[in-house]
Amino acid sequence: MSPPTAAPPAPQPDTPSPLARAGSRVASARMPTYAITGLLVVTVAATAMLQSGFFTAYGLSSTFATILPLATIAVAQTIIVLSGGIDLSIGTIVTLSSAVTVVLMEGDNARLPLAIAAGVAAGAACGLVNGLIVAVLRLQPIVATFATSFMFGGAALLVLPSPGGSASPVLTETYRMVLALIIPVPALLLLILWLVWRILRAHRVGQYLYAVGGSAAASYTSAVPVTRVRVLAYTLGGTVAALAGVALLADSGSGDPFIGNELTLGSIAALVIGGTRLRGGAGGAGGAILGAIVLSLIQGLVFFAGIPTDARELVYGGIMIAAIALAGLLTAGGPRQPGRTA
Amino acid sequence: MSAPVTGGPTPVAERPDRGTRARALLRDPVLVSGALAVLLWATAALISPSFASWGQVVTLLTLASFLGVIAIGQTLVIIAGGEGIDLSVGATATLAAIVASRYMDGANDNLPLSVLLALAAAAVVGVINACGVLFFRVPPLVMTLGMIAVVYGFIRLYTGGQPAGSAAPLLRTLINGDTVFGIPGVLWLWLALSVLVIWILRRTSFGWRLYAVGGNATTAYLSGVNPVAVKFSAYVLSSLFAGIGGLLLLGYSENVFLRLADPYMLPSVAATVIGGTALIGGVGGYLGTIIGAILLTVLDSFLRIVQIGGGEWGDAPRQIIYGAVLVVVLSAYGRQKRLRQ
Amino acid sequence: MDAPPFLRMSGVHKRYGGVTALAGADFAANAGTVHAVLGPNGSGKSTLLKVLTGVVAPDAGDVLLDGRPLRPKSPRDTLAAGVSAVYQELSLIEDFTVVDNLVLGVEPGRFGLRDARAARARALPWLERFAPAFGGRVPVDERVADLDPGERQVVEICKALVRDPRVLVLDEATASLRRRQVEVLFDVVGELRDQGVLVLFITHRLAEITALCDRATIMRGGTDVATVTVGEVPERELVELMSGTPAGAPGAAPAAERAAPEEGAAAPAVLLAVTDLAGPGLNGVSFTIRAGEVLGLGGLQGQGQSELLASLFGAARRTGGRVLLDGAPVHPRSPKQAVRAGLAYVPGNRGGQGLALGRPILENLALPSLGRRALLGVGLSRATEQAAARGVAARIGTTYGSLDDPVSTLSGGNQQKVVVGKWFPTEPVVVLMDDPAKGIDVGAKAEMFAVVRELAESGAAVIVGSSDDRELVEVCDRVLVLFEGRVVDEVQGDRLTEDTLIASAMHITQADVAAARTDDAASHLPDIDHDPVAAEQEQGT
Repeated sequence: MSPPTAAPPAPQPDTPSPLARAGSRVASARMPTYAITGLLVVTVAATAMLQSGFFTAYGLSSTFATILPLATIAVAQTIIVLSGGIDLSIGTIVTLSSAVTVVLMEGDNARLPLAIAAGVAAGAACGLVNGLIVAVLRLQPIVATFATSFMFGGAALLVLPSPGGSASPVLTETYRMVLALIIPVPALLLLILWLVWRILRAHRVGQYLYAVGGSAAASYTSAVPVTRVRVLAYTLGGTVAALAGVALLADSGSGDPFIGNELTLGSIAALVIGGTRLRGGAGGAGGAILGAIVLSLIQGLVFFAGIPTDARELVYGGIMIAAIALAGLLTAGGPRQPGRTA
Repeated sequence: MSAPVTGGPTPVAERPDRGTRARALLRDPVLVSGALAVLLWATAALISPSFASWGQVVTLLTLASFLGVIAIGQTLVIIAGGEGIDLSVGATATLAAIVASRYMDGANDNLPLSVLLALAAAAVVGVINACGVLFFRVPPLVMTLGMIAVVYGFIRLYTGGQPAGSAAPLLRTLINGDTVFGIPGVLWLWLALSVLVIWILRRTSFGWRLYAVGGNATTAYLSGVNPVAVKFSAYVLSSLFAGIGGLLLLGYSENVFLRLADPYMLPSVAATVIGGTALIGGVGGYLGTIIGAILLTVLDSFLRIVQIGGGEWGDAPRQIIYGAVLVVVLSAYGRQKRLRQ
Repeated sequence: MDAPPFLRMSGVHKRYGGVTALAGADFAANAGTVHAVLGPNGSGKSTLLKVLTGVVAPDAGDVLLDGRPLRPKSPRDTLAAGVSAVYQELSLIEDFTVVDNLVLGVEPGRFGLRDARAARARALPWLERFAPAFGGRVPVDERVADLDPGERQVVEICKALVRDPRVLVLDEATASLRRRQVEVLFDVVGELRDQGVLVLFITHRLAEITALCDRATIMRGGTDVATVTVGEVPERELVELMSGTPAGAPGAAPAAERAAPEEGAAAPAVLLAVTDLAGPGLNGVSFTIRAGEVLGLGGLQGQGQSELLASLFGAARRTGGRVLLDGAPVHPRSPKQAVRAGLAYVPGNRGGQGLALGRPILENLALPSLGRRALLGVGLSRATEQAAARGVAARIGTTYGSLDDPVSTLSGGNQQKVVVGKWFPTEPVVVLMDDPAKGIDVGAKAEMFAVVRELAESGAAVIVGSSDDRELVEVCDRVLVLFEGRVVDEVQGDRLTEDTLIASAMHITQADVAAARTDDAASHLPDIDHDPVAAEQEQGT
């Protein structure tokens, strides 16, 4: 979840300074995790109080049904951000993948596997394009992915010119299923997503994401294949974003050529709240998932807390900014003033 | 790595030879974008002769002026460095237009007060952005993205979803009114603002400090500059210029709607970067941004003129080509350093 | 030595834009030797070794390693061929632990899944070997960001060693090391040589060459001018080969020869009086300095010299003590206030803190004094700015093409002159310099010291921190020796010699130094007795 810390080093009683250093290290690594865990506890408690029936099978199912797409896209963005990039086109990738999937599916269960495969392939291809432009053409990620967002958004419009199409019944029904009385399928999928992330983290490639994001030059001289890692990060990100598109489709039941666009902001907010450093090299998908859960719950809270309709957006925006600022204060670390000697 | 050290007290004036100068020109973003804009315009004129008409040129520049003015602040913030970027300019411009329109309510009486109120509202956004970035150390991208939600939330609360009022007649005349040769007032305003900004950047101590902070904040700090104050000013100025852009849009379109200036958010970044201002900070200038804004506007109009899109395919092909051309333009010079030298 | 050399580089060319870094350099070295690569800044020695390690792509030239051509596309290829390097700019990931850094790129494991235990097994032997360099501990799981600069450099060295190199490149690897760490490194290098490893060694410290190296190749102007066997050539000759001119040209006079203040004449005013200054790394420092004086801060590296300068300048926190500037108390809370009070600061890290490298020379020179020439503090005139900058450039003797060129186009020495010269227009009363001659070549160093003396003669008080005792003897009237954030000794007049400074720094007596020299451990330290070269080296061109 948090930046993984190995077992703490054996304390060295005779030298106080390493001990102090180890202490500060543990503190600095743990702070964002404490913050996000604290936020999670507060929001879950508040939701449980305000929203009757939150802990029923139906309540959990509908909550996780809305959380999963945001969490998935946040994980996708996290993979890219960790490697030192950013993807402003990620919302359009989600849109394009869900459009491709829904058009190929035509509400037919038999076509489900093929349609999902095509949607995921589309997402991976978009990610590959982004990766090649950023890593091989060496364009600045912000503007490059801004430019490609037009291409993917346009492609989504080509595939699905207006909202419509219908997801296959199996997809939507499975998505709403609750296993063992209390475990909704989306929650299970979220768990699987996190487990896959843990495997990636244990893999050399996962380590390289952090290395390249931490310092591309240092990684390069250390024989890390920097360009390949960057391309791979965007491609993985695109692939995961495509899964978010499928989840959105399963949740809503029909396609919409604009559906994912708003999610780009949410994905970035979720990962920052979850303690991932926007410059790359620190953080993790676990935090992003928690960040997405917190954001989704806050959105629900604003609705259930009886705030007047016109004020909801402002309250939600304000809480989000506050959460981001809190995370910013805890993650940034380092010297307050430039030029101060440590 | 460079000329050997000689202790001579007199500076040696070396002019780069012609070959290197030509190559430097080819890599000058302002020239490349300018040439590309002219090329696109000429091609469009060949396809559709009306494109070459004076009126059409004025219209193009008028459309570019809104993007150009909103991108002024973007340029300042990006030059100030530290991953500086202001994605809230679109929302801020909309906010200023909505506040002003409500107070003007179609009459001239409250014009100065409305303008002041609108700019004050914009400045508040800038102050919040600056505080978040400088004191809470939120990455600028996230802070200003988040502020979009806050500003639109506020607009929603302020208007109840229904923006009220309309532009004062005087403002409309100022923006749309013919001066000479059919040039509307907004272009003169843009020109005046451009001269002001270029003067600020090139001939004021604030401008030089801005570049120094963007180039190396630590050096600036250790040279007696207050980088926090400089960056703070940059964010507030960014919101102020966005607010001015919103007022221009209000005068042009006469009425406001909820997402009036949304389409200028990321294009303001694109115009700045296309104009040669690097996102790493400390490099670039407003002249390039002007050209960038014009290039983006010409490109958009070009794609409409040659009638790509609009038919059975809808908007889609135009969007795809727009994105592809952006990539091509950026790869002409907006590339980052190679890892291997 | 008659067998074909283990490593041969021939006809290597490299241009960066209009600047030639390498113009047909040849280089050959044998396995089982420590081979020094020497030369002034900009002579191309770093570039040559970066071609070898694959970081720089040469425009022309061949590399033969063990008889096989090496045409690397990236450092991956050279690492596979057994070439490991320790670069000047560190190649560590700060957020990673030490062990993760050591195995980065060569992580052991199956199916790509990393095996943490195997990684530790690979890293531990080297970390344990270097334990004395880490103050006795083995920092396997500490984050690199939490280590001090010297320790990071040692991690960097271990990282190169973990890759089992056949060729080890040390590019100024000792620059930020403490004496103890250098000792361990030299021991290890000796062992590697015995195992048949070729060690290529770049350094500015001549004493290290005589202590450690077998052969030396001298580079100048992008090409190799000579390759010699170290023991057979007098150091004086090495210096001549490096500088390209006979040694002994006049430069700044050593302290002892400088005219002492005339007896009877009124002593110049005390400009700065510091009492019990405390802060991070400072435990109560007191001293005074008079107008026209150059005061050195000596002692072992990292004993509070940098902290003292930063604290006086308001760039580091002050927790106690008083500072009187020209009789009036000052307590700057930011450099801005310090500049107003009449202080100037030359930071220790030129590129990172002293210059905005991408900005023009003109703007860098103008930055601290911008407000002074501006109309109403705002409007600037280009002509005025240029005139001011030209005046400064002439005073410090900077060579430049155009004032509008980025300051990064200047050589290291000229860049450093800009860092100092930018303060002239503010007419500082006290100038604080943190290692002003760090990483610049022999000739530029002499010019830098001339500038320092000139500043003092114009009536300013100059405080110079340096890790190089030769420099302090060279330029200072008086040296304070710091230890653990306190002044433990004050050296001036006839006592101001390198031997005294070193003895004082080690917090021990002269007799102990002599005794220590007979030890084995000390024998490969920079040999302070070999002094004749020192003066010439500093005077250079």
